[in-house]
Amino acid sequence: MELTQRDPSSKPLRPDEPELDLYTIPSQSSWFLWDEIHDTERTELRDFFDGSSFTRTPKVYREYRDFIINKYREEPTRRLTFTDVRKSLVGDISLLHKVFKFLEKWGLINFSANLGNSSNVSSSSSSSLVVVEDEEDKARVKVEGTIPNAVRVGASPNSPKPISAPPIVGDSSGNAVESGFKLPPLASYSDVFGDLVKQKGLVCGNCGGNCDSSHYKYTKGEFIICINCFKNQNYGENRSMDEFKQIGHVENSSNQGATWTEAETLLLLESVMKHGDDWELVAQNFQNKSKLDCIAKLIELPFGELMLGSSHRYGNFGGLNGNKNGANPIQLSSSELHESLKIEGQSQEQINEKEQNGDAVDECPPSKKQRITSLSDAGGSLMKQVALISTMVGPEITAAAAEAAVTALCDENSLPRETFDVDEDHISNGICSPTTSFEQERVLQDEDSKLKETSTQSETQDTSLKSDDIPLAVRIRASIGTALGTAAARSKLLADQEDREIENLVAIIIETQMKKLHQKIKHFDDLELIMEKEYTEIEDLKDSLLAERIEVLQRAVNAGISRWRDHFAVKS
Amino acid sequence: MKAPALSFFKAPVKFRMPTSANLVPIRLDIEIDGQRFKDAFTWNPSDPDSEVVLFAKRTVKDLKLPPAFITQIASSIQTQLAEFRSYEGQDMYSGEKIVPIKLDLRVNHTLIKDQFLWDMNNFESDPEEFARTFCKDLGIEDPEVGPAIAFAIREQLYEIATQSVASARESRISKKGRRGTEHATSSKSSGSALDLVKLFGYRSSVVRKRKDWDVYEPIVDHLSNEEVDALEAREDRNIR
Repeated sequence: MELTQRDPSSKPLRPDEPELDLYTIPSQSSWFLWDEIHDTERTELRDFFDGSSFTRTPKVYREYRDFIINKYREEPTRRLTFTDVRKSLVGDISLLHKVFKFLEKWGLINFSANLGNSSNVSSSSSSSLVVVEDEEDKARVKVEGTIPNAVRVGASPNSPKPISAPPIVGDSSGNAVESGFKLPPLASYSDVFGDLVKQKGLVCGNCGGNCDSSHYKYTKGEFIICINCFKNQNYGENRSMDEFKQIGHVENSSNQGATWTEAETLLLLESVMKHGDDWELVAQNFQNKSKLDCIAKLIELPFGELMLGSSHRYGNFGGLNGNKNGANPIQLSSSELHESLKIEGQSQEQINEKEQNGDAVDECPPSKKQRITSLSDAGGSLMKQVALISTMVGPEITAAAAEAAVTALCDENSLPRETFDVDEDHISNGICSPTTSFEQERVLQDEDSKLKETSTQSETQDTSLKSDDIPLAVRIRASIGTALGTAAARSKLLADQEDREIENLVAIIIETQMKKLHQKIKHFDDLELIMEKEYTEIEDLKDSLLAERIEVLQRAVNAGISRWRDHFAVKS
Repeated sequence: MKAPALSFFKAPVKFRMPTSANLVPIRLDIEIDGQRFKDAFTWNPSDPDSEVVLFAKRTVKDLKLPPAFITQIASSIQTQLAEFRSYEGQDMYSGEKIVPIKLDLRVNHTLIKDQFLWDMNNFESDPEEFARTFCKDLGIEDPEVGPAIAFAIREQLYEIATQSVASARESRISKKGRRGTEHATSSKSSGSALDLVKLFGYRSSVVRKRKDWDVYEPIVDHLSNEEVDALEAREDRNIR
């Protein structure tokens, strides 16, 4: 068995070992062994080891390598050329050339020949690197040191004798063989995904709520609870109060984008209405909220917010809903894990509201229906009949009819026109009181408008009806006309009101559907995560099993041993 | 593990020169009015065709040939280029293909005879590098020898590649569309492929027997002037 031994102590060559042929190779090629194929060879001559062709196997490589080195060592002083060896070896000539160049580069061949021919040998300090240049006409060797520092390889491979440690001048220990490639540092999950994880807000280990402000950290381990839990003494299993220490408000800036006070929400809506889609301007109104925050916030709010923004002017009907819904998202945490809880809570509330709204809405149609059925019996009062007719047909028709009636009245007599212009308020309000009374039943939540109506009514009811000198018939006609006119105006208001209601409800429906979808998506995402984890685990199992199975086979082939049976022959 | 080659399936390769640089070998042999112009070089098929005419013009100018040569040269180059391009896009062989390449050429005063194996699957092979090593190892100083060797190699590779396209087509037709090219069929087109199994198998060695060494050894002869003249005369006679 041949060994290469490095003896750091410097001793002269012992003359009583003439049968050993010593060959010099550079110190950095000390990895070379006759029996094995080193990683350096594997990486640089990948073609033989990737199993891509049966003409390129480790066995073939070893034969090439051994033959070339042996051929060189037949005459170490003479420089071996590629042409000398390629005639003796079967195989692709380019590949042979590659092996030849590799061996020459590492000094396993042509080393002494180059040294002998070179004129750059300096006999001073220790050597580290030997560079063989063969690109030009003559092989030039730059030696940064003395020859004796190279490792002395033991006997030629065919010699059966074992070698004793050949003396080596100088030290050659600590030869770090550069394997030619470095593995990239292993990255762990937390390196790659750490940033993402950190972005999540602190989560209470107990109740799962978000710990925005100070939280309590368990000193004996990784566990934090929010203030509420601490107050309620929900510490979790086997933990007592003194084991928690308070950690104050962690940096606020990351959460700032998520905290929207009611005032800010209102301001946001106003600026959105004012500026429309121009988010730059909208964001300018907020010092601490970016453009994205504004947009995100707006999206978070129920759609009714947008729709009802316009109805703020009309009354609190929309405003009530908007404020209620606006308050809830403020408490929504950025942590996805607990958003589900919050959304559930919010959707609960919204459902309640919807029910209220629904009740409100529901009350309208039934009241309408009630009115229709009751009025069919009325028959008596003209106004009632008119009202009945107007409810039975569409609003546009009613409006057109009212218009026509007014114009007809005006055409008949010029006086009523004057009357209309001058005393409209007084007359209309006086006569309109019976009509307003039951129309108010329809408008349930239009508080502001009601207030307005009642206030105006109270104002004008005191004023007495002047214009006694106008004939009665004309007055009656005028009053009828004004009554119809006000009915028309009222119905328009009502129609607008109903439109808004419908819009609101539709928006709420759409929103709940979206929320449902979101939930489903989240659910599937979770499922997918679980599946992926399982899959990777199974893959790992599979790999380990395979690895074990092929390890034995691999070893045999990789050593370049030509046949399994031959292995034993070599050993002996 | 007995015959792993047969279980190796390689997808058919699209036609191209099996060297790192996909260059077309172009040979010119034009005679006009008793003047003979012979040349051999490699051309890059991705060069624009306008370059062909420019090259022809420049060659004629440099060698002081009559202008009639320009069109002939250009058309000859273009014909060969077109032939090369016609093969492109078709499938070549698949599977192992190590072919013998023979060199038998005379460049000025140097006569070269050589034989070696070349792997058609090795797309990083470089005939020019081989030629460089060849000349350096054998101490050939004539700078025209290297390119001539490289060209000869390319020419043979080109010929083998075109043959394999034809044979691939045949085998496809004969198999009625079955695409799997087996090792056995590809071996029919190249004689040495069968030997590969024997040579690279477990039992045998890739080291050649000594008696074969002479066959694969390059022979380089430096000729004297008279020998050169004699050979040239013989070549001309053969052509006519």
